[in-house]
Amino acid sequence: MDEYIRAEDLRKLYTMGTVEVRAINGVSFSVRKGEFVGITGSSGSGKSTLLHMLALLDPPTEGTITIADRDVISLSEAEKGIFRLSRFGFIFQDYALVPELTAEENVSLVAMARGEEAGSYSRRSRKLLGQVGLGERVAHLPSELSGGEQQRVAIARALINTPEILFADEPCANLDSTNSRAVLDLFREINQRMNLTVIMVSHEDWHMEYFDRVIRLRDGKIEEDFQPEIPDATASP
Amino acid sequence: MFDDLRVSAFLATRSIQRGGRGRNAMYIIIIALVLTNMIFLPSVIMGAMDVYYVQTVDYISSDVIIKPPEDVRYIDDVETLLATVNRMSGVVRASARYPMAGSIDFEDKTVAMEIDAFDPRDETEVTKFHKHMKYGDFLGSGDRDQIIVGSLVAGAKDDTGEFYASLGGATVGDSVVVRYANGVVREYRIKGIFNTKSYQADYMVFVTKDEMDAVTGSGGARATEVLVKTVSAEDAQPVKKRILEFGVGEDVETWEEALPDVVSESVESFAIINTISVLGSLVIAVVLIFIMTTIKTFNNRKQIGILKAIGLKKSIIINSYVMQVIFICLIGAIVGSLLIGTMVLYFTTYPIEFPDGDVTPLVTWAMIIENTALLFISSAIAGFIPAWRVTNEGILEAIRGG
Ligand SMILES: Nc1ncnc2c1ncn2[C@@H]1O[C@H](COP(=O)(O)OP(=O)(O)OP(=O)(O)O)[C@@H](O)[C@H]1O
Ligand SMILES: [Mg+2]
Repeated sequence: MDEYIRAEDLRKLYTMGTVEVRAINGVSFSVRKGEFVGITGSSGSGKSTLLHMLALLDPPTEGTITIADRDVISLSEAEKGIFRLSRFGFIFQDYALVPELTAEENVSLVAMARGEEAGSYSRRSRKLLGQVGLGERVAHLPSELSGGEQQRVAIARALINTPEILFADEPCANLDSTNSRAVLDLFREINQRMNLTVIMVSHEDWHMEYFDRVIRLRDGKIEEDFQPEIPDATASP
Repeated sequence: MFDDLRVSAFLATRSIQRGGRGRNAMYIIIIALVLTNMIFLPSVIMGAMDVYYVQTVDYISSDVIIKPPEDVRYIDDVETLLATVNRMSGVVRASARYPMAGSIDFEDKTVAMEIDAFDPRDETEVTKFHKHMKYGDFLGSGDRDQIIVGSLVAGAKDDTGEFYASLGGATVGDSVVVRYANGVVREYRIKGIFNTKSYQADYMVFVTKDEMDAVTGSGGARATEVLVKTVSAEDAQPVKKRILEFGVGEDVETWEEALPDVVSESVESFAIINTISVLGSLVIAVVLIFIMTTIKTFNNRKQIGILKAIGLKKSIIINSYVMQVIFICLIGAIVGSLLIGTMVLYFTTYPIEFPDGDVTPLVTWAMIIENTALLFISSAIAGFIPAWRVTNEGILEAIRGG
């Protein structure tokens, strides 16, 4: 089996005064390329902490992470930045789009930051916005878009640099169920069409039907690692 | 590097274009006023100093002044000296002054003062008294029983507001009695009254050199100084050198060197006041820009955190804020310069009336460039610090927004 991401005995220790919090307490697993992985668990179980370590936003206290056979823990901050910019896509609970940029400019900004020529990315970002259903909204400012629409702009932004891994931390937390479904359908589609690896944190049970695989955390440890049953397409309403 | 700046410029431009026009306009106006404030006070001081300098050259010392050495009262052999200096290149004309102490009586008033004398033909080429005759005429070469007096000496009928003793409203044609220190008493007709607006010059009286020769008696009048007019202001130093090289036994100074110590001391005081005022203006600018950037970056904390998570370099984000500050300063400086230009234009048409003369603010390009540069540097630093601080916050802290 080709291991694309490999986490080995990850630990994250927070010390607050005399209190020690073992947010992640010995976690090992590997992810194949193109897998759609859901990280679930109750609040405080360490989901976000684990995602941040995998996404090179926060170094683990102990353990190793390899991505595409590369030890990424030892990279410098600047190298991690370049790694994230060119290989990762990010979607957070907060869309945090740049308020003074239009939908298209928000998406283009990330390609521009990678040093691309203007001609190449503006067509691509319009196309991506079309794919997330915002073809008519490319010139709108974030303040003129609904929460669901803003999150879709954030998704287009995450995809503009054709990432290898998409990290999402509760991307649907601020969305109603219709918008949530739209976002998850989009993830599923991207995952299948682009063979994009998706690692997504969620604590909604019904999201599980979208995942290839679920890693359930409890107190900083893996409680369960399983493939959810694929719901019967004919039986669902 | 260039690509990064392009991204910063893109962010900065959009932020200026779409982020609170009213607020940006306010920042620009404040920067413009700060620059105006930095330049206006010194320009008025410089204008006032300039008026004083011009008056000094026009009436008091001309471009170069020759005086006897210390402890000596009179210039030795002034005729030869005048002939020598008049032949030098760069010299328009030299005029000697022959004063004697005395007093002037008019009706019931007496003013004790020095009565000065010159050769009118020389003097008209050296000073500008002849151009500022308020009433009557300047002295002519042959005049013997005539005197010209400054407006402060002539005074007014109602002399309650006058600071110096005056003749209480003497007019052209009036007769005054002059009692010289050597005992000679003469009666003169006032031929003219001059008004130069220089306190010092307007408190002078003049007779001709021929008259002073007669008053002095044997040997004739004796000169205490020689005023030398040069072709241009730049000739003052070279002419001074030439005179000294000629080996005259007198002291030779340019008008600037001849300024009394009190003048250079007040220039220094002005410089200190000016520095304090400039620093005050800069503090306003720095505080404004600091608050402006702090508010902007703080409001955008989460967004900055996410951009950093995505992988944008810190420097791209910091530079985008510094560029916005520079843009605001640039427009502010242009508006400020226009404002200053308008004020200078206005005060050239309607000068500020100072007791010593009409003052027009004097603005040089150096002043504008220097102050604008100071404003840019301090503002850029004031913008950089908050942007740097927020950008250096941990990515996760910023995203959580705690
Ligand atoms: N910066 C920090 N300092 C101290 N403790 C922290 C810090 N970040 C997280 N923790 C602790 O680590 C544990 C795991 O936190 P984490 O945010 O990963 O949980 P989570 O599973 O994402 O929860 P939620 O569903 O509420 O987002 C919690 O007990 C939390 O209090
Ligand atoms: Mg979380």
